[in-house]
Amino acid sequence: MFSELIDEMPLDSSFKFNFSAKDNLCTIDFQTRAGSKILDGYRPPFDATPVRRLRRAGGLLVGKTNMDEFGFGTFCTNSGYGVPRNPFDIERSCGGSSGGAAAAACLLEDHISLGVSTGGSISCPASFCGVVGLTPTYGRVSRYGLVDYGNSLDKVGILARSSSMIKNHFPTIAGSDPMDPTSCAQPALDLDETQIDSIAVPREAMENIHPAVMDSFLRALDIMRDRLSIDIHEVTVPSLRFALPAYYVLATSEASTNLARYCGMRFGVKGDDVTQHFNDYFSSVRSKNFGKEAKRRILLGTYSRMVGFRNRYYLKALSVRQTVISDYARVLKEHDLVATPTMPFIAPRFSEIERMKPIEMYRADFLTVPPNLAGLPHISVPCGYVDSMPTGMQLVSQHWSEGVLLNIANMWEGVFQYRFPGARQ
Amino acid sequence: MKIGLEVHLQLPTVSKLFCSCSTSGNGPNTSICPTCLGFPGSRPRLNRRALEMTILISRFLNCRISERSWFSRKTYFYPDLPKNFQITQYESPIGVDGGYSFNGKMVRITRVHLEEDPGKIKRVGKSGEEVSLIDYNRSGIPLVEIVTAPDITSPSEAREFMADLLIELRHLVGLSERNEQTVRVDANISVGEERVEIKNILGLKNLERGLSFEASRQAKMLKAGKRIVRETRNFDEERRVTTSARSKESEEDYGYILEPDLGMYHVSSMAKMIQVPETPLKRAERLSAEYGIDRTSIRQIVLTSSTLTDFLERLCSNVPPDIAVTWVLGPLSANWKYLERRLDEDLSDRIENTIQMVIRGDITDSEARMRIGAFARGGGAETTQDSKERSTLAELVSECIDQNPQVLFDFRSNKRAANFVIGQIMRETKGKYSSSEIVETVNKEIERRLKDRVVT
Repeated sequence: MFSELIDEMPLDSSFKFNFSAKDNLCTIDFQTRAGSKILDGYRPPFDATPVRRLRRAGGLLVGKTNMDEFGFGTFCTNSGYGVPRNPFDIERSCGGSSGGAAAAACLLEDHISLGVSTGGSISCPASFCGVVGLTPTYGRVSRYGLVDYGNSLDKVGILARSSSMIKNHFPTIAGSDPMDPTSCAQPALDLDETQIDSIAVPREAMENIHPAVMDSFLRALDIMRDRLSIDIHEVTVPSLRFALPAYYVLATSEASTNLARYCGMRFGVKGDDVTQHFNDYFSSVRSKNFGKEAKRRILLGTYSRMVGFRNRYYLKALSVRQTVISDYARVLKEHDLVATPTMPFIAPRFSEIERMKPIEMYRADFLTVPPNLAGLPHISVPCGYVDSMPTGMQLVSQHWSEGVLLNIANMWEGVFQYRFPGARQ
Repeated sequence: MKIGLEVHLQLPTVSKLFCSCSTSGNGPNTSICPTCLGFPGSRPRLNRRALEMTILISRFLNCRISERSWFSRKTYFYPDLPKNFQITQYESPIGVDGGYSFNGKMVRITRVHLEEDPGKIKRVGKSGEEVSLIDYNRSGIPLVEIVTAPDITSPSEAREFMADLLIELRHLVGLSERNEQTVRVDANISVGEERVEIKNILGLKNLERGLSFEASRQAKMLKAGKRIVRETRNFDEERRVTTSARSKESEEDYGYILEPDLGMYHVSSMAKMIQVPETPLKRAERLSAEYGIDRTSIRQIVLTSSTLTDFLERLCSNVPPDIAVTWVLGPLSANWKYLERRLDEDLSDRIENTIQMVIRGDITDSEARMRIGAFARGGGAETTQDSKERSTLAELVSECIDQNPQVLFDFRSNKRAANFVIGQIMRETKGKYSSSEIVETVNKEIERRLKDRVVT
């Protein structure tokens, strides 16, 4: 679960709380490897802004949490440093890519996990590990010091056992930061309580869901309607079907350029033979140290932006993103929130994952990808238990309205009891 | 012959394009940070000044300014490029479709865009044991790229074009010597049908040499009935020849994507707030048209200094332009080294006066030349005309003594009594006269009065 942990807890505890950071957030005092062998031994010269802000607020950083290499994965099985196991059942996945972060949030009481989502990497593991995971609006939290996957999609968020814990610490990490220009155009954070009347459920999100998971989601909707007096409306959002391919084109296009810098020079691992021509040297370092999924995504991304394909893939994907954004805007004008299950199934067993093809793994993200593609804030909360494994419900609200999400999650926690496995402190 | 240029010029900003590192490092790898080294998690932040300079240059080159402009990633692997992609502009250059009139003709400007410079590779060590060292001080220095259409028709014209462009930009954005020395040009040249690109030529001299070699190489090939292949060549400065380089990717092969960490910039609204000042050669063109001054003369004056040109322009409105040019190119230019620091409003008046006097026939030509020479060195030499100036000072002194007659009594017993008058005059004239001039005049006047017994 941790890829690096603090040597010993400080005795004098002047710290107000403890937290962990996903291993793609830069930290001066811990290695920052983003789950990749190619960054083995890398100690950044600076702290990522969210880490720095939590430390300044009195937080003790206890460790770096394991993750899929550079965030490439849904089950946290693509790390160069072992596979974290689900606290509810160690034969099952934590989800990904912030798998270690979700496991830490689940197992440690009073613990704040910094996670990062590009296409669902907070919602997915939150759902599989039965914790709350808030993914803020794109640009709400500074990405300075975040090892890039897809810069136009990456968002730093928080995973914890309850929404109130997130509410306590989210204002600390949110807010503009001159070191990340994309964080500098945000309106003030508003966490006041708001009236929530209506939730939309897109028809497109009700397909290809495991029946038991679907049942738990529908029961959760019933509770919301009956006990919280919220209207539930079925809506149709056709563009949701195209979000997944558009996301993978954009994310891999950006990733393939972001990963170009890892070549055994300047930082990270070094190659063996520096007398080689630079091309051969770069290739040997990259072939040896990138994992299989990283290589696959580099190839996919390079292909999507190549001459002859750029128009068909990269530019098309940009326009699909605009359509998804405007479709959400239309729905969120009428309704306070959009709700779906978070994942189409409960945390799968590692043996099942081994049999899955890459395309099946990518498809598992079809519910978490759309709000991520649109840059919309969303939260995943536990909403039921199937075979003693948690299921999750994902709620999406308008840009910049994280307050609405924390509010609904808080209301939900008043009518639904979360379960946690025997705590191991 | 058709020649088109891609000019890469460093902009004279204090800090780099995407970080706050200084653009002038002191020793290799001293002006670097996570951003210009491309460390994971670092981000670019745009230097507004660099954007403004690029807009100014685009406006100056009569380009259409893009409504909105953004940056792109151009991906290629090279050790001097820290991120292995360069942040540049692709679909939305700052300026497009401009033109620069030069030698009486128009060179069309295809585009003007802004990008980051990579680091610099240095080969060191004995032959056979060479190693490459990289200095990243240059990484992230803002570069403006100016692309012309193939409207230039000879290697010498290409050099002249570049020289003129640099003169204008020196004035426009304040290029430093280093900026000018590091100008790099990619030149496309075709003698027949197919064009050849010469990459990365450093400096104007090499530009002309490289193009000349390539022009004659192509001409010889055509004469021998050979076909010219479209290719990229390098210019070897030592041997002064071009050699075939790797076959080059086309622009599209760089797999451009948007730079997601930087936003959209509304450059056309920024452009509205930016005034394009008159550059030296544009001014030369205007003065040449307004006063019928020949190109060579006006160019020489304009290139000497803008203050000298200011003087010419004022002179031209009061005396016939040909006379004005003769005086400016003659005695003024000859004494420019001294006049440069001195030529204020007052001195301009005095020089113009002198020239007027020659025209009226009050003094001779050579007398006027001597006078201007004297002005240049601080007005030391005595001529009849100086008496006018002197009389003004003498009048002041005389007036002051009239008002303070006791000075004369005191002076007889104590010469330092003159200091009172000297101080008064100095305060009154605020540095118009040198102190020795004033001391001399005051002493002279007091002694004259005492001798003439103006007071008894």
